[in-house]
Amino acid sequence: MAASEHIVGRGIGNKLILFTVILVAVFWMLPIAWTLLLSFKPNSELMISTASAFQPPYTLKNYTDIFQSSGVFRWLWNSAVVSVGVTAGILILSSLAGYGFARAEFKGRDVIFILVLLGLAVPEQAVIIARHQIFSDLKMHNTYPAIILPGLSSAFGVFLMTQYFKAIPKDIDEAAMLDNASRFKIFWKVLLPLTIPAQATLGIFSFLGAWNDYLWPLISATKPEMFTITVGMASTQTNFAQSEGLGFLMAQAIFAGLPVFIVYLFFQKYIVRAVAGAAIN
Amino acid sequence: MQVSSIELDSVSKRFGSVEVISELSLTIHSGEFIAFLGPSGCGKSTLLRMIAGLETVDGGEIRIGGERVDNLPPGARGVAMVFQHYALYPHMTVADNLAFGLRNIGTPKDEIARRIEEAARILEIGHLLARKPGQLSGGQRQRVAIGRALVKDPKAYLFDEPLSNLDAALRVRTRVELARLHQQTRATTIFVTHDQVEAMTLASRIVVMNARKVEQVGSPMEIYGRPATEFVARFVGSPAMNFLPVQIRDRGGLATAALGDGSIVETDVPLAGLPSGGELRVGVRAEAIHVREDGSVPGRVEVIERLGDRTHLHVRLMDGSTLIAEDKGFSRIQPGDTVHLAFEGATAHLFDAAGLAYHARQ
Repeated sequence: MAASEHIVGRGIGNKLILFTVILVAVFWMLPIAWTLLLSFKPNSELMISTASAFQPPYTLKNYTDIFQSSGVFRWLWNSAVVSVGVTAGILILSSLAGYGFARAEFKGRDVIFILVLLGLAVPEQAVIIARHQIFSDLKMHNTYPAIILPGLSSAFGVFLMTQYFKAIPKDIDEAAMLDNASRFKIFWKVLLPLTIPAQATLGIFSFLGAWNDYLWPLISATKPEMFTITVGMASTQTNFAQSEGLGFLMAQAIFAGLPVFIVYLFFQKYIVRAVAGAAIN
Repeated sequence: MQVSSIELDSVSKRFGSVEVISELSLTIHSGEFIAFLGPSGCGKSTLLRMIAGLETVDGGEIRIGGERVDNLPPGARGVAMVFQHYALYPHMTVADNLAFGLRNIGTPKDEIARRIEEAARILEIGHLLARKPGQLSGGQRQRVAIGRALVKDPKAYLFDEPLSNLDAALRVRTRVELARLHQQTRATTIFVTHDQVEAMTLASRIVVMNARKVEQVGSPMEIYGRPATEFVARFVGSPAMNFLPVQIRDRGGLATAALGDGSIVETDVPLAGLPSGGELRVGVRAEAIHVREDGSVPGRVEVIERLGDRTHLHVRLMDGSTLIAEDKGFSRIQPGDTVHLAFEGATAHLFDAAGLAYHARQ
């Protein structure tokens, strides 16, 4: 209450900004609301006209149909395993690498760091054939490691954690050294807890990225039992899905996006902070 | 309570090709409060960090309590350091900050609790133990940082400009508290500062450093009253000592300095020992230059600084040189007035071209 009063309370300029923000937010949410609305409509009615979306009847059949598909829970599970695996892996590796680049002094450190950053400029599509070949040679396709491992090389994660570790004053390490802490203890007990905001940001982006990833799981997972939710959902769509099963399609979209939405709800604070931080910096 | 001496034996330090400490030797006595005083970049913090083990030693030895420590890691040297920016662990409570070092060396829980309680009592931070550093004021953080050192019962305390982040009033208060703390603990203490007032008020001995070398080691009044070099004379004391080029004449074995305008300052500096040729300057502190009707050195007042208990007069002499003289607090002198200055020649010093000082006999 106080915050909203603070925002709108001062002058016509602020009110205009607030109005614009609300307008953009509503505009942004319209497709989601439209998707949600269509997902509750019988497909037969939507075949005639999507204008019927604004009138009853509404139904949950599109959602129950999703559960009829035998693989959906398996795909959800696969997505969860892959997303958690990728997120955990990125957090562990990026933290260790970030600490190393920020604190350890070794020959060629800056060159290696630049090489890592160059990874940001290489699109996935450029390496995907070579990657497919490697995993094929290793006979790893259709396994969790095959879907997870490529996602762990996060140049962005290493960069973010390096910058975050660099921002922590070295006095803190030195105080811990004088407090008889070992190097590992300084990393684990002193510095790592200070990077939690960065970890949360990186974790959220990694989770969302892994959950929504489509291309690599589509290539690597060819057996239905190894599909992630994005690949699985796509596999159920028939040739005439757009015209004959629009409601079902929309329900699939909502269902697939639900876990991401829940993650956002829980970590909203960190996402906003991360985006705001990026804007300020 | 452990109290140990610290010996620096020809210690050297290089950063790349730059030698920042060159064969420096110094003994800090057990229980002594010593200040490393000097401008930024003079090497004082580097020297402290070498003692702490945070910088490697490229030459020489450091001994604490007779034991060589320059090859030991920081935690094994038995010293505690208070950092300029406190360096508290932000995610830990005050109690955990104090306990962290003790836990790392396996101190029993009840002993940790006892030491924290004792430190909290001495520093009056008992009510802050459950808070995190972010919830504390600058002064409170400083106390916690001191507390973290105190609980370790170290062989020596190392302070790296610990007061520079505090506001003026808090700095004065904390200074007094540090002095009181040292009186209680009688622990060997090294205090790095660029603030001469802190060094003068806290330390029993001051090491004045400049350009990576020691200029003078002495008690505060030795440093102030008998500066070894022109740098020390300029750096210690506010306002800085006045320097005027002079010609030297003999006055029964003592040096009489003739200023540029021909006026005379009779010093007690023995003529013997003064360099025979080259330029000499007389150094006189403002409090030794007074406005008097019978003063022999005339000048015109350009700027007046009223400090309450005294007034500083910036005076331009007839030969164009300037100096700062001192007058009483309620001085009626105004800018533009002509004054006559009298020098207390007995407290004057002479400095040669190399900046070396020559004093009156003690």
